[in-house]
Amino acid sequence: MAAWHEVASLKDLQARRRLSVTVEGTPVALFWINGTVYALNDICIHEQRQLSKGAILFGKVVCPGHQWKFDPATGEPEDQDGCQPTYSVQVVDDAVSVSLERERAMS
Amino acid sequence: MSTADRRGGRVFVLVGGGQAASVAARTLRRSGYDGRLLVVGEEAGRPYQRPPLSKEYLESGDAAALELLPEAWTEQQSVEVRTGVRALKVSAPDGGVLLDDGSFIEADAVLLATGSRARRLPAFEAEGVFYLRTRADADALRTELRPGLHVVLVGGGFIGAELASVARARGAEVTLLEAAEVPLAQAIGARLGDACVRLQRAAGVDVRTNTMVQGIRREAGQLLVSTNQGQLEADLVVVGIGAVPNDEIAVDSGIAAGNGIWTDEFCRTSVERVFAAGDVASQLYPSRGDRLRVEHFDNASRQAAVAARNMLGELVPYDEPHWFWSDQFGSNLQYVGHASPTDRLVVRGDLEDDHWTAFFLDGDRVSATFAIDSGDDIALARELISMRVAVPEATLADPEADLFEALEEW
Repeated sequence: MAAWHEVASLKDLQARRRLSVTVEGTPVALFWINGTVYALNDICIHEQRQLSKGAILFGKVVCPGHQWKFDPATGEPEDQDGCQPTYSVQVVDDAVSVSLERERAMS
Repeated sequence: MSTADRRGGRVFVLVGGGQAASVAARTLRRSGYDGRLLVVGEEAGRPYQRPPLSKEYLESGDAAALELLPEAWTEQQSVEVRTGVRALKVSAPDGGVLLDDGSFIEADAVLLATGSRARRLPAFEAEGVFYLRTRADADALRTELRPGLHVVLVGGGFIGAELASVARARGAEVTLLEAAEVPLAQAIGARLGDACVRLQRAAGVDVRTNTMVQGIRREAGQLLVSTNQGQLEADLVVVGIGAVPNDEIAVDSGIAAGNGIWTDEFCRTSVERVFAAGDVASQLYPSRGDRLRVEHFDNASRQAAVAARNMLGELVPYDEPHWFWSDQFGSNLQYVGHASPTDRLVVRGDLEDDHWTAFFLDGDRVSATFAIDSGDDIALARELISMRVAVPEATLADPEADLFEALEEW
């Protein structure tokens, strides 16, 4: 059973599109992309830059450090190896919650 | 598995053990190429990436972080890596590569990705004078870099600045000598070059411009650097004055070359089924009407990926904006595109601040962008440059304007 942590207001995320939050000591980047909330580990697997300071372009998250492009749903980088950890997201009214369990929780 | 067991029975040889050859190998396997695949590199040891050599690796010496083609991957993918052997010649029309151990590998397609080497001058050779190109160079330099040493860097390019950053972090006194009036001016113009020099000086680097080094010699245990501005003493000197393409294999094979191996926009050389990519390739850009040889990691990756696809029979042109980054003095510098000296500069932010973005405009289109700690703007600039759209200057200059929102309207 996933442990949910309420981390942000949906309105706030919609306005700012990207947010940096902490869940149980883990830095998490939240993104609002094409009507969906995504959560990824905030620290880029490449060179430890913050994804939440990156760009959202054509549905992808672009790391500001060295321009690695990630699929926000899977964490897979374009033309690179490895995978950025992604987390489950739950939105209830204005509350955005994140679970560090990798599997999408049933809802 | 022997070659004969492979379906298709083709053989591809990638000459060069660096980024371009490694990306080509990965692209070929990812694209389903299941023939024999060899990577032949002159340098001993497994292929590794070079950008960290003047940055993290010079500080930490963490070799695992450099690895490009881990053994587990090459074994699983049946990629043969032969290093410590030099490819001498590509023979056409039978298509094969002659190695300096006397062996000859028949090949259906060859990629020349031999890279470049540090430009060295005979007048700049002495004990205690270093050049930085290989992992061995970085290891030797790391051993010598100690607190309190006086380090003189010859050449104020991006590598010089990165070396200055690491040397300062290691507690050395650093003097950086640049022949031009403003370092980096050729790459990014004098105004932005000056802004970068401010970063260097703020970190305690003694930057001396208009200073041409005439020679370096060792006398009584001390290095003496003679310049047009007088003589300096140094404990250690690192020379970073550019790179020279390793294009001898093309010259010796009768493949068109001159400051690099000449290719068309499809990465094809003058000889059929022989391709070139990375630092060594001097590619024709029809959109620009001239050739460019680019010595950057990202170019090596993207150009090699295109070359690999074309080795497989596609006809994909390579015409993406060139991008590079530099990490120095705790800041991240990035550049994308290609500016001309006549382009206008539009600054978003304040060049005196610790982060800003500068757009180069050719007419009303962005030709290039340079930024400090603003990688998100660079991601956007890359799109603007590829899309070749007209951009309102006022929007670019306004730090409050949301460029990403604006991009959807342009």
